[in-house]
Amino acid sequence: MRCNYCEWRCDLSAGQAGVCRMYREEQGAVKERFPMQWSACSVSRMESMPFYHAHPDSRTLTIGTYGCNFSCRYCSNAHVARRDPLEFKAEMNGMAPEELIRMALKHGCQNIVFNVNEPAMSLQSLLKLKQNADQAGLPMGCLTNAYTTEESTEILAAIFSFLNIGLKGFSAEFHRNYIGIGSIDPILRNISRLAKIRHIEVTTPVIEGVNDSELGAISEFIAGIDPDIPWHVFRLLPEHEMKSVAYPSIERINQLLQTARKKLSYVYFHNFVGSDWVNTVCPDCGTRVIERFSLGCGGDRMDKFLCKEGNQCPSCGRRIKIHGRPYQTDVKEAT
Amino acid sequence: MSIVIVDAREWQNMLDLKTGEKIQVENYSTEILRGVLQRHHYPGDVDQLSNRWVSETALDLIGQYHPQLVCLMYSRQYFISRFNPLSETERIRLLEEVFSEVEFMLAQSGYTPVIVGTGNLTEHIAELDLNGLDGLAISGNWSARYAGLHKPTPKDLAYLSTLPEIERIAARQELIDLFPGAECILERIPEYLLVAKEGFTFRTSGTPGRKIYRVPGISYQIPVATPLGNVETITGLRKLVRDNLKDHKIALIILEGIGEQDFRTPYSASKNSMGWYYYEPGENQLLTMSTGTQQVFAFPNGYNYLEENDNKEFPFSGYFKKIPAGTIAEDSGFRSIAVGNHSMHTHMVFGADICVECFARNLYNQGCMGVIHRTAEIQQENH
Repeated sequence: MRCNYCEWRCDLSAGQAGVCRMYREEQGAVKERFPMQWSACSVSRMESMPFYHAHPDSRTLTIGTYGCNFSCRYCSNAHVARRDPLEFKAEMNGMAPEELIRMALKHGCQNIVFNVNEPAMSLQSLLKLKQNADQAGLPMGCLTNAYTTEESTEILAAIFSFLNIGLKGFSAEFHRNYIGIGSIDPILRNISRLAKIRHIEVTTPVIEGVNDSELGAISEFIAGIDPDIPWHVFRLLPEHEMKSVAYPSIERINQLLQTARKKLSYVYFHNFVGSDWVNTVCPDCGTRVIERFSLGCGGDRMDKFLCKEGNQCPSCGRRIKIHGRPYQTDVKEAT
Repeated sequence: MSIVIVDAREWQNMLDLKTGEKIQVENYSTEILRGVLQRHHYPGDVDQLSNRWVSETALDLIGQYHPQLVCLMYSRQYFISRFNPLSETERIRLLEEVFSEVEFMLAQSGYTPVIVGTGNLTEHIAELDLNGLDGLAISGNWSARYAGLHKPTPKDLAYLSTLPEIERIAARQELIDLFPGAECILERIPEYLLVAKEGFTFRTSGTPGRKIYRVPGISYQIPVATPLGNVETITGLRKLVRDNLKDHKIALIILEGIGEQDFRTPYSASKNSMGWYYYEPGENQLLTMSTGTQQVFAFPNGYNYLEENDNKEFPFSGYFKKIPAGTIAEDSGFRSIAVGNHSMHTHMVFGADICVECFARNLYNQGCMGVIHRTAEIQQENH
């Protein structure tokens, strides 16, 4: 029997657990091996995920599980994503959906974001959680690599109303050599599909000399779907197998993004402390409409929300792409 | 005004420590700091050269600024021990490397040492899961022994009282009574402080996902090694150092995660506790040493920092919402520096003129950061 959750379509017969090691066959059905077991449950800010255009300044309960269907050589969360989930069995955080919701409400969270590993590894648990989240009025979002089948992409869309999709490169060669997958086509297909039905943002971690030459093609692709899709370019600090690789030059990468800024409305360059490229400016008149502060891995935050009527440029009135509304009571909204 | 320079490798930003706003100040102190940060890229919390980075950065600063007081924090051994399974042989080698590093630093600098170990580490036995409580339990990222309990129900308290791994459930007033005269903000102190038995930790929201191998253990006393005299309690360290600054160039060296059982040089024991409470490594212990007063309530164990920290000032300073007063280097009348590889503690707890620290969070290395306190007062010496 084959798993149909991601494009590996692993054979789960004879007790096999597949690439991600998170599913198994049970009585002719694909079942999670570790349902409702979480690797993380903590509180953060939406901008730190990063989501810059969804539920601005909201407090979010971030959750994650184990395993991944990619083998990124630079993985930042290899201690969770790249190891056999069985190794963590004693530490797994077992929480039923109602407990997670209660935790979110106790902390005053306004939404839930799955952000540690790949949500496709835990779709059955997340579907259950979604039911409870709906009852509590908590929208759900996620970070995903979108290497899902068409069927499970629809499940992702059913669970999550906002998604940040990792588009890590644009060539088959890069994905083969650094990500460990054979084809980028399913990812591109799913980005196109999800952009039609959900709020999406795209994130590309850049490693100088490895995938920086693909930034132009990526921005071209995103612009072809919708130039208003926010694009986060991450200065990647390689971990795992690439720990010794040099840090990307901020000035050189920023220079490479100049062309993309002409094609896309919202291009951000961050994941380093004090980035100058985390504010949102109106694509038409250049007025600064959302101000943020970046602590790099320490987290980003929103400082000022200057849009009128929730999503309009205070100078020219252009609609700024915003999913949800700014949350905090001390938000400095323009009057 | 205190100035921050963040160095993310080939990229430096100067900002106001309080507001996080970008600023531009060029003077003697910023010139020194910019150069030091450029020359000493942080290798990472668990890198073999992490503690050497502390020494080399400090020696560079000493060579240019000629401070009378140098505050150093060596923390690599704490990070490695916490997140890696070490054999006893590896653990001993790690400890020997730390003390060799201290010897190197002292030989190179010629400063008179005051070496303090912040407490023993012990094997992690298990986590006590508090996520199912009706009330809100909070245990800091690095705490082992303590968790705060907010708005518990009688059912929560009844359940917790059945757990043999919990040593004590202390009501807020019990903790306050333990430290008479210590300044406290009542609302910050949790309604109950849960105290785990040695080796156990609490699992609450925010508990890191990494597997933990060793955690702070029982440390009612901590070791202090110095030729300058003994201190009975850690509140006496400040006076010892300041009284001797006139005649000695002093290096206050903090060795994180090392207690009496692993100290490798002759020491005297200094009281690190009050009744049943002892300080774990962290900002309160360091502030107690630095200010000479009990600082248990500065950031009470298990306080609900999330209620306070949204968009607060001092964005580079963790929980801190202001620069602590009365720290060891502040108003000492002597030049001072601080260097450490446990992030924001270095610039907030010592009050040194010029501070350099790693900018790493949860072991993710983003570079390093320097802070200049009292920048206007720092002038070039006339030789």
